[in-house]
Amino acid sequence: MPKLSMKQRYSVLTRDLDWEPSYVDEEELFPHATFEGIKIHDWSKWEDPFRLTVDSYYKYQAEKDRRLYAVLDSFAQSQGHLSLSDASYLNAMKLFLQGVTPLEYQAHRHFAYLGRHLKGGGPRFAAICQSIDELRHAQTEIHTLSGYNKHYSGFHGFSRMHDRVWYLSVPKSFFDDAVSAGPFEFLTAISFSFEYLLTNLLFVPFMSGASFNGDLPTMTFGFSAQSDESRHMTLGLESIKFMLEQDEGNVPIVQDWIDKWFWRSYRVTALVASMMDYQLPRRVMSWKEAFELYFEQQMLEGLFPDLSYYGINPPRHVQQAVDEKDLLSHQVYWTLFSFGFAAGFTTSIPHDDHLEWLSANYPDTFDNLYRPQWEKARRIREGGGRFFFQGLPQLCQTCQIPMIFTEPGSPTVIAQRWSEHRGEKFNFCSDGCKWIFDREPEKYVQAWMPVHQIYQGNCGGPTVPEVLAWYGLEEGDGGEYEGSVDQRNWQHWHEAQLSEVASR
Amino acid sequence: MSVRAIAPYDFPSSSRQELYGDDQLVHVLWEGNMMFCSAATFRAPREMSWGDFKAQMVDPWAASDPDYDPRCPGGWRVDGVEVSPRPDQTLGGLGVGHKSLITFRI
Repeated sequence: MPKLSMKQRYSVLTRDLDWEPSYVDEEELFPHATFEGIKIHDWSKWEDPFRLTVDSYYKYQAEKDRRLYAVLDSFAQSQGHLSLSDASYLNAMKLFLQGVTPLEYQAHRHFAYLGRHLKGGGPRFAAICQSIDELRHAQTEIHTLSGYNKHYSGFHGFSRMHDRVWYLSVPKSFFDDAVSAGPFEFLTAISFSFEYLLTNLLFVPFMSGASFNGDLPTMTFGFSAQSDESRHMTLGLESIKFMLEQDEGNVPIVQDWIDKWFWRSYRVTALVASMMDYQLPRRVMSWKEAFELYFEQQMLEGLFPDLSYYGINPPRHVQQAVDEKDLLSHQVYWTLFSFGFAAGFTTSIPHDDHLEWLSANYPDTFDNLYRPQWEKARRIREGGGRFFFQGLPQLCQTCQIPMIFTEPGSPTVIAQRWSEHRGEKFNFCSDGCKWIFDREPEKYVQAWMPVHQIYQGNCGGPTVPEVLAWYGLEEGDGGEYEGSVDQRNWQHWHEAQLSEVASR
Repeated sequence: MSVRAIAPYDFPSSSRQELYGDDQLVHVLWEGNMMFCSAATFRAPREMSWGDFKAQMVDPWAASDPDYDPRCPGGWRVDGVEVSPRPDQTLGGLGVGHKSLITFRI
């Protein structure tokens, strides 16, 4: 039998599997394909930029896995964890494992759903590949970071923490929002807004942080995921263009989703902003610099002028994100520091050289707005104390972040927005979050708000120790880094290493 | 606008007042003090007196800042409306509802 050409193989192994239904009608076979109002006239117009088939996909992924596992083995055998920049670096990875890895698993599940429910053969196959990618990412991230669990606190029980701990309800509720939407909105939410618009502000900072701080395993994982991520980004852009080209009536629907999901995704990046500016002992670039390069230049000045051809405008509320770039990371890290007693990672007052770096990178805001907070926290520490917010915060009903954000143009005035729905008051951190609630109040009134749930008695009990036990947090997981279990171990191991060298 | 869904879509709020019995959630914001990243949330009986609420809930929380002096707060507002609370007034009597915001300045 003659061998098929690449093009024929691709067609046989993907499009040829797109059967015409014979004994059920299309509506019955694809019950979720139309209710969102998106009209598709010709599914065959979907372009596959990658022309991937199952056999080549598995072969390629297996090679990447082999390289990653070789690095993990040698890092473990050579006690590689001792050559990290500092034990406190791992706080960024704890946040990653608790906050991001479970989203990879959620994405795996939901792309499998798209692989079932999208009507066209091309996008169904792309969704199945991405579903397998996301499962592989979840597994390899867990495997990569499990190497640190033996030596450091905060890595155990990440999945339980994701479901329960207050700050993790931010990424969790974000994804719950997306998977409870229809298939086209999910594509706009996750493939386009999360993975295309903001990927360089979500995933990449963790991986470059790893490379700057001696975390070879995570860096290798990052490389192994990179080619998948570029495929996912392409799917994001392709799916938007496909919807926009298929029917003019799709344009306002897609615009609305971009407006919503830009703001939802941007609010999740708040955690990344504070990680970049405060949690890395060796910093890569500031949040502000990353935002200007990856979002303002590449997306606002690069992508959106192209999308205007289809009648798509830059996301509503984008100006507020631009205006916040000098404030965001400082507001968020101060919050994590203030509630550090209830976190699965440690926090601390930045050292002098770190304060200088913050001043230099945020000349308009750091010295006048945020340095005084750290100086006061330091005075409290010198008196033998530690500043904590001794209470529970007010949360935004939409993004579930404590309501810490300030009025546009007034960086010392906490913004307060609210709406009434069926006689009940709901509070928001910003115009963006209020706008999202007002579009679909029926959805967001159901939000599992961590603070409200604690007060209903659903989180282990009324006291802080009971809630922390219910979160699964153990001694050393959270609180202050100075004097923590991780810091003491780190010093002990390094002193032992030095005395071993000296005695030789 | 409302949710586009594949079936009837109507669910109760997960934070509705009845889930708290005779109590309600109350937010308190110390305006202009950046040591507090956000307002605090308390669960308090609607019939609680202002004096008890301030002494048992607001003061211990505000004392997270060691410079706090319980005699100093002023300029009280409930949901943006100025009030001059007397210790024997109830929260309900002051117009504090479920998830209301009380603000003060020093």
